[in-house]
Amino acid sequence: MSETILEIKNLTKYYGKVKGVENLSLTLNKGEIFGFIGPNGAGKSTTIRSIMNLINKDSGSVMFRGKELVRDDTEAKSRIGYLPSEVFLYDDLTVKGIFDHHESFYRQYECSAGIHAKRQELVSRLKLDETRKIEDLSLGNLKKVGIVLALMHEPELIIMDEPTSGLDPIMQNVFYELLKEEREKGNTVFYSTHILSEVSKICDRVGIIRSGELIRAGQVDEISDKQLTFVTVTADDVDALAAELGVKVLSKEGDTVRFANTVSDDELIKKLANFRIRKILIEEATLEEMFMHYYEEVTPDDKT
Amino acid sequence: MIRRELKVNLRGFVIWTGTMLVLLLLIYLVYPSIVSDGKGNKVNEMLEAFPPELLKAFNMDIAGLDTAFGWLKSEGFVFLYLIIGIYSCLLGSNILLKEESEKTIEYLAALPITRRRVLLDKTVVSMIYILSMIVILGAFNMLALNISETPDNRQLLLLSITPVFPAIVLFAFGLFISTFSHKTKKMLGISIGMVFAAYILSVISEMGEKVEGFKYLSVFTLADSRRVITKAELNPICAVISLVLFVVFIVLALVRYQRKELV
Repeated sequence: MSETILEIKNLTKYYGKVKGVENLSLTLNKGEIFGFIGPNGAGKSTTIRSIMNLINKDSGSVMFRGKELVRDDTEAKSRIGYLPSEVFLYDDLTVKGIFDHHESFYRQYECSAGIHAKRQELVSRLKLDETRKIEDLSLGNLKKVGIVLALMHEPELIIMDEPTSGLDPIMQNVFYELLKEEREKGNTVFYSTHILSEVSKICDRVGIIRSGELIRAGQVDEISDKQLTFVTVTADDVDALAAELGVKVLSKEGDTVRFANTVSDDELIKKLANFRIRKILIEEATLEEMFMHYYEEVTPDDKT
Repeated sequence: MIRRELKVNLRGFVIWTGTMLVLLLLIYLVYPSIVSDGKGNKVNEMLEAFPPELLKAFNMDIAGLDTAFGWLKSEGFVFLYLIIGIYSCLLGSNILLKEESEKTIEYLAALPITRRRVLLDKTVVSMIYILSMIVILGAFNMLALNISETPDNRQLLLLSITPVFPAIVLFAFGLFISTFSHKTKKMLGISIGMVFAAYILSVISEMGEKVEGFKYLSVFTLADSRRVITKAELNPICAVISLVLFVVFIVLALVRYQRKELV
């Protein structure tokens, strides 16, 4: 059984009357990359800020390595790396200055021995110029500095919010390699994004959040293999056909309808047998379509 | 943390202190010509026409303007209390809040450091700068006055210490109220307004028995320069009250900051 690194239990946060997240529970295991996806405003950043104790939870708890992650637990914080969606650093410093400043906070912790070597390795792989001033950096280079800061102390848990925004495709690949290496070392990555292709590329498991509630969580392969197909049918009475199947029609053009299907192929064919079908196309949903389906179709009550 | 804060706040300290030194220097250079050839006595005679309450408000009833030291004891220290007070209050209201305003707070909050340590380290740095400013200005006044005249150095030394009392309270109060805000822009007007309001209350409180109670609302009462001028001693009660208020506001700021949402 996998060792649990991070456990969020019944997390609820409201901003006044506006829901941030509600009753959100999820678990991250040692050595996995967990994709946390959802549209803008779904509650991803609220979840991350609650984990990082930047905001106060209304209820619920966050456990790190079996112990509640409280605001002033500096030992626990030394084992966590954090990359916010927008990197804001001290403009007056150079890249070297911010790395030196960062290193100085970890001197009394276990990770201090290898922190400088790791920093140099990351700087080299991400092709950063340490002499440049923070205020002169482009968005992409600033992001790279943020990645080094999040990884240089070899954290056991790495929390990243939209980490690839601003990175060029070459650097994105370097970054994915870095994350995979972290996973191989047994470190855990909490990867928040709305870029679905990234999830299928590097994540082991994924959680889908919508309107502040976790509507689905599981292995990426498992979600991809779920019985969601897109069916396009041309028949005599497509309205009756849709009613019989109980599906929501995605598009309709003349006698042709397209709908998302979650029943088995066998059951689908049996039901379609009652109609005169002129043409049928059954397509397997891509991971992206799967997520879109969950965003658009699944209500919070349907979560599994 | 302390080293970085010292570096970040050095420029502001140099600008504020340097500006005040230049202004004081100009006054000390010009003052001898103002009071030369018996003109100083004429100034004092002119002041006699002013209402006694007004003279008292500016210590002019116990210090003449016929010497530079006399000017410093009256108008000079009014100016010093105000400027050091504004600097201290602005430092207090900005030093924590700028991390939120400049959005570096997400980086800071992820570091293995407690919020208490952040607040206390920033307080230590602020105290270093506020006390350094008071020491530098005091030393400059002492040097300049000893070159041009023979002041009462004990009285001058004690007077130079008096800005510490309102300054530390204003710093701590500024720090405390900054925990209610997320933007430094909002705090700028509030801080300056607060210091001026406190000063005006202090002046008004000297203008009659009916309004004497206002002095309890003003932090500048804690300087009590009249006692130094008339009795050549600091007011121990004011010193204790200043320290107590400083500690109380720092503790309140700590309590607030521990629970504050840093976004």
